[in-house]
Amino acid sequence: MRQVITVSLNGRAYQLEDDAYAALAAYLGEAARTLAGNPDKDEIVADLEQAIADKCDRGLGVHKTVVVRSELAAILEEMGPVDGEDREPAPGPAPGAAPGAAGAPAGGAGSGAAPRRLYQISEGALVSGVCNGIAAYFDLDVTVVRLAFVLLVFLTGGAALLAYLVLMFVVPYASTSEEHAAARGLPFNARALVERAKQKAAEFASSADWHTSKAQWKDEWRRTRAEWRSEWRRARAEWRAQRWSRSPPAPPPAPVPYAAHVASGCLLAVVGIVLAVFTVGWLFAVASLVTTGAIFGWWLPHGAPFWLGIILLIVVYQLVALPLKAIRRAAYYPAGYHAPWLAAWDGVAGLAVLAALAWYGYHHVPELHDLFDRVTQAIDRVVASV
Amino acid sequence: MSIDQKLSPLRKGLLEFLVLKIVSGTSVYVADILKRLAGTEFATQEGTLYPLLSKLRREGLVEYRWQESDAGPPRKYYRLTPAGQAQLGELDGYWVRINKTISELGN
Repeated sequence: MRQVITVSLNGRAYQLEDDAYAALAAYLGEAARTLAGNPDKDEIVADLEQAIADKCDRGLGVHKTVVVRSELAAILEEMGPVDGEDREPAPGPAPGAAPGAAGAPAGGAGSGAAPRRLYQISEGALVSGVCNGIAAYFDLDVTVVRLAFVLLVFLTGGAALLAYLVLMFVVPYASTSEEHAAARGLPFNARALVERAKQKAAEFASSADWHTSKAQWKDEWRRTRAEWRSEWRRARAEWRAQRWSRSPPAPPPAPVPYAAHVASGCLLAVVGIVLAVFTVGWLFAVASLVTTGAIFGWWLPHGAPFWLGIILLIVVYQLVALPLKAIRRAAYYPAGYHAPWLAAWDGVAGLAVLAALAWYGYHHVPELHDLFDRVTQAIDRVVASV
Repeated sequence: MSIDQKLSPLRKGLLEFLVLKIVSGTSVYVADILKRLAGTEFATQEGTLYPLLSKLRREGLVEYRWQESDAGPPRKYYRLTPAGQAQLGELDGYWVRINKTISELGN
């Protein structure tokens, strides 16, 4: 048994199965989007609806009153994608209303079009489909997104990997065709920006004085790169100076009393454990926010978007973790920074607590269980694809 | 760039010319135009044709009137305006000149 949805196509009622409806809604939404800014948009959409209706009539009769997905897919295939490319830059008939609307194609697409959402797309995914979804969202090539992601992983020292894990957990999968349409849907500001940049690049590439401008562009690029490099060097030098200014570059080899060793070891262990517990608690808070919309039962202020909660949690984490990390760093110094047993103890204690909590979470928190399973599945898939 | 990619803008530009040509005979509706083009390399679809017709109408080259049909709702029948007639004449002349140039250049 399937649900049937009744729609009006240019004034006449048609019954569609639910997934046929989703496909039609996606097609007409895309048509409205493509024609945004076209002064005859409504008329063209009505014409298209009428043409679809005529094609539906062909397959309907007294004993067949419902259009199914495969029939509608064939009809849409016959209709072909709606062509909006060569619309005039400034339509003549409406000179007064045009200038504002013409510049912002996103503005006109408001009515009836599904909003664009970030989804994971598992079709053709390498790991989980996050990059795939991001590529669909910004209408970019997925390879570009993946390369950018790998670059980010190196630049951020692995933090981007964490971000990927969080996205994997947070971003829903696109499963229905409507969700797939929404994954590539309405151009909003950021997408319009990318779109404009792409167009600019294409214009630039096809401009007549390409060869002279290429030389200019190369010079410009070389200069910018040199600037970046010197900037980066200066920043790095500053950062180094700051980081090492607290501890002398060569620690004095003065004998450290035994009691100080023990004290700093204990301090390290305690701070390490506290930090690990806090980190895990924080991850639980994020999970709780994502799954229930509230942080351990505390609801965000009414109307506050949920990414605001995530940012709030990150700020709180940094506020609490920073002093703890500072204490931990300070605890190294009585023993001298180079005491390997201290670093090992610190690392082992932290890891042990993390492992224990992860084990507990895996067996007692269903959401975490799911997340672990998805991570292992993703790893399996990567291994299998290599 | 494949040969098909190279020819696609050419086809796209010529489609407008061909639609004017088809509309110039008797008044036709969209299904007629699609049928006339179907067997040729200019075969096209509603998704392309409706926006194109609306553009031609905005430019004052074609006009339509509603006509009752035996089956289903009334249909839009398109025909050329005098301006469309004039432009078609110009395009026809241009096409003849292009053909001449091409055949003269080749040997």
